[in-house]
Amino acid sequence: MSSPPIWRLAPGQRLVHRCHDGECVLFNDLTGDTHLLGQDVLDVLGALRDMPRTAAGLAQDAGAALDPEWCAELDELLADLAALDLIAPDLIAPGLIEPLPGTQPC
Amino acid sequence: MLTVASLGERELRARLRGPGLRLQTGPFVTCVHSPLAPLAATLGTMYGDYPVLEEGALADFHVRLSGSTGLRRFLRPQVHFHYDGMAPFQPLPLDQAFPMFEWAMNWCVSSQANSWLVIHAAVIEKDGLAAILPAPPGSGKSTLCAALVNRGWRLLSDELTLVRLDDGKIDPLPRPVSLKNASIGIIRDYAPAAAFTRPVADTVKGTVAHMRASSDSVARAGQAAAPAWIVFPKWQAGAAAELTPVPQARAHMRLAENAFNYSLLGETGFHTVARLVDEVRTFDFHYSVLDDAIAVFERLLAERA
Amino acid sequence: MTQPMHLPPAPHLPRFPLLLRALREPGAMGGFSERDWDLLLRQALASNLAATLCLLADEHGMLAALPARVQRRLGWARTVWQRHLQAVDLELGKIRHALGETGLPLILLKGTAYAAAGLPASAGRLFSDIDLLVPKERLPEVESALMLHGWAGSHHDDYDQRYYREWMHELPPLQHMRRASVIDVHHAILPETAAVRPDPARLRAAARAIPGRAGFHMLAPCDMVLHSAVHLFSEGEYHHGLRDLFDLHRLFCHFGADPGFWAALPGRARELELARPLCYALRYCTRLLGTPVPASVMEAARDGMPNPALLALMDGLFLRALQPPHPSCADAFDPAARAALYIRGNWLRMPPLMLSRHLFHKAFVSPKAEPAQ
Repeated sequence: MSSPPIWRLAPGQRLVHRCHDGECVLFNDLTGDTHLLGQDVLDVLGALRDMPRTAAGLAQDAGAALDPEWCAELDELLADLAALDLIAPDLIAPGLIEPLPGTQPC
Repeated sequence: MLTVASLGERELRARLRGPGLRLQTGPFVTCVHSPLAPLAATLGTMYGDYPVLEEGALADFHVRLSGSTGLRRFLRPQVHFHYDGMAPFQPLPLDQAFPMFEWAMNWCVSSQANSWLVIHAAVIEKDGLAAILPAPPGSGKSTLCAALVNRGWRLLSDELTLVRLDDGKIDPLPRPVSLKNASIGIIRDYAPAAAFTRPVADTVKGTVAHMRASSDSVARAGQAAAPAWIVFPKWQAGAAAELTPVPQARAHMRLAENAFNYSLLGETGFHTVARLVDEVRTFDFHYSVLDDAIAVFERLLAERA
Repeated sequence: MTQPMHLPPAPHLPRFPLLLRALREPGAMGGFSERDWDLLLRQALASNLAATLCLLADEHGMLAALPARVQRRLGWARTVWQRHLQAVDLELGKIRHALGETGLPLILLKGTAYAAAGLPASAGRLFSDIDLLVPKERLPEVESALMLHGWAGSHHDDYDQRYYREWMHELPPLQHMRRASVIDVHHAILPETAAVRPDPARLRAAARAIPGRAGFHMLAPCDMVLHSAVHLFSEGEYHHGLRDLFDLHRLFCHFGADPGFWAALPGRARELELARPLCYALRYCTRLLGTPVPASVMEAARDGMPNPALLALMDGLFLRALQPPHPSCADAFDPAARAALYIRGNWLRMPPLMLSRHLFHKAFVSPKAEPAQ
């Protein structure tokens, strides 16, 4: 059984962006594409730049660790962001990081 | 200063047939070669005011429009466009030589001029402020542009908006305004004093005619303008003339979609559009009556005064 | 078998169009008039060397002194090249991700290698496909891995498939479904059907890691030069002839700083059965581009010389075909020269019987490409 990935910003992404009223445009350093993102998505990217996290860790930061729907949406978002080369997974070895007590795996 | 008109018909044809006519349009110099007499005549009319440079002057582009050879000359003759030995387009019927020349000139700039962000848009100016009108074909952009430049607005360009990468100002590229189908009649009525080419039927865009750019706009081709508005026009039968603000992030994406070299310019393209969107107000614009549309633009201008 | 065409004797001295003068001696660009530049820009564009000229001028500290319109025009080409490099970086990352599990050293060839290694030959150089060299027995695995990651086969015509897989030395080009980038996966540097078969195992054994590009390798310096030479002098088409010759020039200049390179080159050429292309490479580089080559190497390379009659014919063909592909540099014999070289190119790669079948098939059966609008 594989461990959940730690997500980080794809190496080389600087998050060059502009935000207006909750909507943002982001320049993708790797592909040269420009993306239209919601502010919340940009915030997720910023969080991953500051500290690589698992999906569970992000959920905990957002106070949504116990919300399965939210977690499912987050998983989908992370997959989309990876497909766009904005984030990349590191696979952690089992046992290296303990899940925090009281959290539900996401 | 030497202009096409001051050359006279004979010298114009001699240059076109021989060493090439070195024609200045906005920031570009194009060396034009063509043996086609009707094209020479139309160039003389549509480009009379434009500067001509001496032989040996450095040109940015070299274009040749030639006719068919051999038997083809007599049976459905064609016009061929060659860009310095290469043929990027299929030939067209011979009577479409001038539209083909205009498309070729646009192609040269839109495919190569990478020291600007080149937006597929009309751009006009009044009191130092420029309005950019991006639009996919069929939105009525050229009709609106043609109307505005006949009511006191200066033509900067009908098709290609050149945004400087360093400071975001617009460099003019005034050239004949292309009109299609019903627009031709509408603008002829709207601007009885304007000069038009004979309409050419059966092009890929329908019937096409070109309206000459005013002498004033050509004379001021060296005067850049600051962008103040981006207006996405959409002609709709019966629509009242109405502006709807476009959110800035959306404006960025839509501008990027309408720019030929946005992706090519990479991060510079991103910042150029971002700066532009920051500096202007962006609107969607529906209209049906030209006078109403013009009034809306005048109101935008008055708000800035 | 097609007979070579008869051409008048080669001119005594090669003509030096402006573009050749600029490439031979970049410093001379500072002295060109506006009229010269008008023509030079056109030659450079036709030869795909505009970005290269821009970088050469910059390297020699004279870009800022050129006429403003020239700087601007060259700058447009440089912008395209810079964007191209970014796209190449992306593709290399994707390829490493797709092929990492095979454990294969990913050996890059030609322009891809120059760009990945940051060689002087990469300056201003564009290329349309990524070129990769892998062992023949690993081809199916490599093809599957690439297709799993979004690259799709092209050339679905059965004949084309056979052309590539059986007779040539590569898979049919693979194009990415989303990004439209193209990979050419080679297992050798010359086709199965060619008379000369430089052993790919030797090339792979001598390949070296590209510093700063984990997982990627390039051919050893001698092999890189020999590959470029054989690619140029046995290809069918010469639109990029001058560009390819300039590649060779830059490779010679860069690797030639190491005396060990010159010492090893003639022997390696013999070992790989590539003495003839090396001979041509040295001959035309020195004559057209003034490449500094030690006399001892010119002497040692004589082994690869063809007999005088053939050499005169080749001089006539190549000295014309390696000129800029621009109307200002053409003479009346150019179409004939290029046509003869096209046939010669295919002749070297395929035995004569197959040659005529291939051309026939191409002309009458394969779907024609859509003309550009």
